[in-house]
Amino acid sequence: MAETMVEEAAPAPERAQENGREVILSVRGLKKHFPIMSGFILQRRVGEVRAVDGLDFDVFKGETLGLVGESGCGKSTTGRTILQLYRPTEGNVVFEGEDLTQIKGERMRAIRRRMQIIFQDPFASLNPRMTVGNIIAEPLRIHNIMSRREQKDYVGDLMEKVGLNPYFVNRYPHEFSGGQRQRIGIARSLALEPSFIVADEPISALDVSIQAQVVNLLEDLQNQLNLTYLFIAHDLSMVRHICDRVAVMYLGKIVELGNTDDVYDNPQHPYTQSLLSAVPVPDPEVELQRQRIILGGDVPNPATPPIGCNFNTRCPVRFGLCHEEPDPILEEIRPGHFVACHRTN
Amino acid sequence: MARLMDVNGLTVRFYTPEGTVYAVNDVTYTLDEGESLAIVGESGSGKSVHALAIMGLIPSPPGKVTDGTVMFDGRDLVQLREDEMRLVRGSEIAMIFQDPMTSLNPVLKISTQLTEAIKLHLGMTEAQARNRAVELLQMVGIPAAADRLDDYPHQFSGGMRQRVMIAMALSCNPRLLIADEPTTALDVTIQAQIVELIKRLRAELGMALIWITHDLGVAAGIADHINVMYAGQIVERGPIMQVFKDPRSAYTLGLLSSLPRLDLKDQRLVQIEGQPPDMRDEPTFDPFAPRNPYVTERCWQEIPPLENVAKGHPEHFARAWYDLPSLRNAQ
Ligand SMILES: Nc1ncnc2c1ncn2[C@@H]1O[C@H](COP(=O)(O)OP(=O)(O)OP(=O)(O)O)[C@@H](O)[C@H]1O
Ligand SMILES: Nc1ncnc2c1ncn2[C@@H]1O[C@H](COP(=O)(O)OP(=O)(O)OP(=O)(O)O)[C@@H](O)[C@H]1O
Ligand SMILES: [Mg+2]
Ligand SMILES: [Mg+2]
Repeated sequence: MAETMVEEAAPAPERAQENGREVILSVRGLKKHFPIMSGFILQRRVGEVRAVDGLDFDVFKGETLGLVGESGCGKSTTGRTILQLYRPTEGNVVFEGEDLTQIKGERMRAIRRRMQIIFQDPFASLNPRMTVGNIIAEPLRIHNIMSRREQKDYVGDLMEKVGLNPYFVNRYPHEFSGGQRQRIGIARSLALEPSFIVADEPISALDVSIQAQVVNLLEDLQNQLNLTYLFIAHDLSMVRHICDRVAVMYLGKIVELGNTDDVYDNPQHPYTQSLLSAVPVPDPEVELQRQRIILGGDVPNPATPPIGCNFNTRCPVRFGLCHEEPDPILEEIRPGHFVACHRTN
Repeated sequence: MARLMDVNGLTVRFYTPEGTVYAVNDVTYTLDEGESLAIVGESGSGKSVHALAIMGLIPSPPGKVTDGTVMFDGRDLVQLREDEMRLVRGSEIAMIFQDPMTSLNPVLKISTQLTEAIKLHLGMTEAQARNRAVELLQMVGIPAAADRLDDYPHQFSGGMRQRVMIAMALSCNPRLLIADEPTTALDVTIQAQIVELIKRLRAELGMALIWITHDLGVAAGIADHINVMYAGQIVERGPIMQVFKDPRSAYTLGLLSSLPRLDLKDQRLVQIEGQPPDMRDEPTFDPFAPRNPYVTERCWQEIPPLENVAKGHPEHFARAWYDLPSLRNAQ
C-alpha cells in the first residue's frame, strides 16, 4: 500500500521551485529490491530486501548532494542503481536528458562515460598487478580513446591534477599509502572527463589526518571541472562541510531533503534530529552541554519493514497515526525543504 | 584521587621479516582511580599495541615489550607470569575490542560465555552466576534479558553484541576498563547509545576507563584526560579541556584544525600535509617533523622529551622542541 502512495506522489517538485538551476540527474520512483533465495538445490524466492524503496529527487549541475543514513539504509545501492550497475526494480533515472532505464548498448556506453564512481576502499578497488599508469589509463583503453603516446601524457596530467608525482607512474598500488591510493582512484574516475561522480564513502577508510587532503582535492576538482557529486557518507560533520544539499535515508527511503544549512540548523524529521544529536562534536565544552536524543533499538530489517511509518518503531515522538497510516510521503514543507513525517505533513 | 596505574617508558617492538616495527616508544603516563582517559591517534600509532602490552597480550614472537614498567596496585604487570596475569585480566582490568565477534565465541550461548568468567573470578554457583548474568544484561540495556540469555552471538545485532561484550567485561567488577574503539564499527545512533551506557556505568561503578578512539568528538564527550599518540609516542597529554583549548604539539593542533564541525559552518579544511610515518623507521628525531609547519632545526636531530608545557596547566605535557603558542602568535 505504501508503495502505490509513493509512486503517485512523484511529481518533479524541485524543478518548479529552484528554477534557473539546471537539473543534471532526475530520479523518479526508484526501487531496487534484492530477492532472498532459500533452498539447497532448488533455489526458491522467499522474500525480498527492499534496499531502495521509492526515491524521488533531482541533482543540480555543479552541486554536491549528500546521501546520509545508517548502515544498510540503501545509500550504496542507490548510487549503483543510478549508475545502472544494478538494474532498477522500478522507476526512472534521467541523466542529461536521457532515461538510462530505457537505453542499451552503444548509447549506454557513451553515457556511462559521463558518470563515474569512487569507492570507499582504496585497497580493494585497485588491481594490485597493474601499475598506477595502467590503472588510470584503463578506462581510456576500454573506450579506445587516444593513442598510447597521448595516453601517456594525459595520465601524467591526471596524476598531477590529483596531487600524485607523475614520476611514480610505473609503481604498483601496494607501494602507496591509503590517501595516495584514493588519489589514484580519483584520477582514474576523471580519465573519461565525467560530469557526474558518485563518491561512495571516499574518505571513510582514510586516516583523520589524510581525510582533509582528499576532501580539499575533491572540492578543487569540482571547481576546476564543474563536476557534480553524489556524496555518500556517514560522517555527518564532513557532509555539512562538503555538501550543498543533503538527503537523509532510512530503510530505503528519503525522510528529509534540503539545503545542508536548513537541514542541519532546523531538522524537521525526528530521525534527522536524533541522527544529528548523536554526532559527537570535537569540543569538550560543547559536549558537556549537549542534549542528546538517544534512539532506542536497532534499524529494522529491510526485508520486513514495520507496519505504518518506517521509523515508528524507534521514533521518540510517534503518535496514533504513525502506526495506522502507511509510510508518509516526502512533501515540500518550505521551498526546497522536503520531509516525510505524519507530524509535519 | 588515588593512583591506579603508572605506565613508565613502555616500549614494544615487533621483529618481522620486513624489519623491526617500532610500535610503542617510551610511553609514560599515570591513571587515577575512576579517571576517564581517551587515547587518540591515527591508524598504526600504537594505541592498540600499548593496551595489549598492559594486558600482557602481545603476541610473542614476533612482539616483545623491550622496556618499561606498568605499575598496577603495587605490581609491575610487565613482570607477571602468565597465570598471575590471567587473574588480573577480567577481574581487575577488562578489555573490550573493536569487533565483538573476535571475542565472542560464535558456537557458545551468551549464557555460557558470561557465567564461565563469573564462576571463575567470583566463585559463584551456576544458579548464582546465571542470576548475575541476567542482571548484567539488564544493566547494559538488553530488553527481555532473561529470555535472551541462551541465544547465540549471531542472534544479536552489532550494537547488542557490543553490549554483551560490555556486560562480559563488567561481570567481575573491574577497576579499569580498556575499550579499544568499541563503537567504530557502529552507526552514530548506536554509538551514542553505547557512549551513554559506558558513561552511566562508569559513574555507577566508579571504575577507571581508557577509551581508545580516532574520533576526537567521541573523546571530547567521554574523557576527562587525553593522550595523543603519533608514531608510537605520546606527543601530548593532559586534561581534555586544556589540550583542546591550548594544544602544544603541532600534530594535535593539525588534527583539531583539520576536522569539520557539525555545529559550525566552516571554510576550506586545514589539511596536514604529507603521509603518516613508516613504523619501521627507528625513531631518532621528532617523527612529526616532516609534516610539521612549525618545524625547527632541533626537531630533525633529537626526539623531544614529554615535558610539562610552559605557562600551562601542571598536568599538561607535550613532546615539542618549539613553543607552539608563540609560533602561532607570530604568524
Ligand atoms: N547485492 C545484494 N544482494 C542482496 N542484498 C543486498 C545487496 N546489496 C545490498 N543489499 C542489502 O540492501 C540493503 C542496503 O544495502 P546498502 O549497501 O545499499 O546500504 P548502505 O546504506 O550503503 O550501508 P553502509 O553504510 O553499510 O555502506 C542492506 O540490507 C543490504 O544487506
Ligand atoms: N602482530 C604484529 N606484528 C607486526 N606488527 C604489528 C603487529 N601488531 C601491530 N603491529 C604494528 O604495530 C604498529 C602499531 O599498531 P597498533 O595496532 O597499535 O595501531 P593503532 O594505533 O591501534 O591503529 P588503529 O587505529 O588502526 O587500530 C603498527 O605499525 C602495526 O602495523
Ligand atoms: Mg554503502
Ligand atoms: Mg587499534
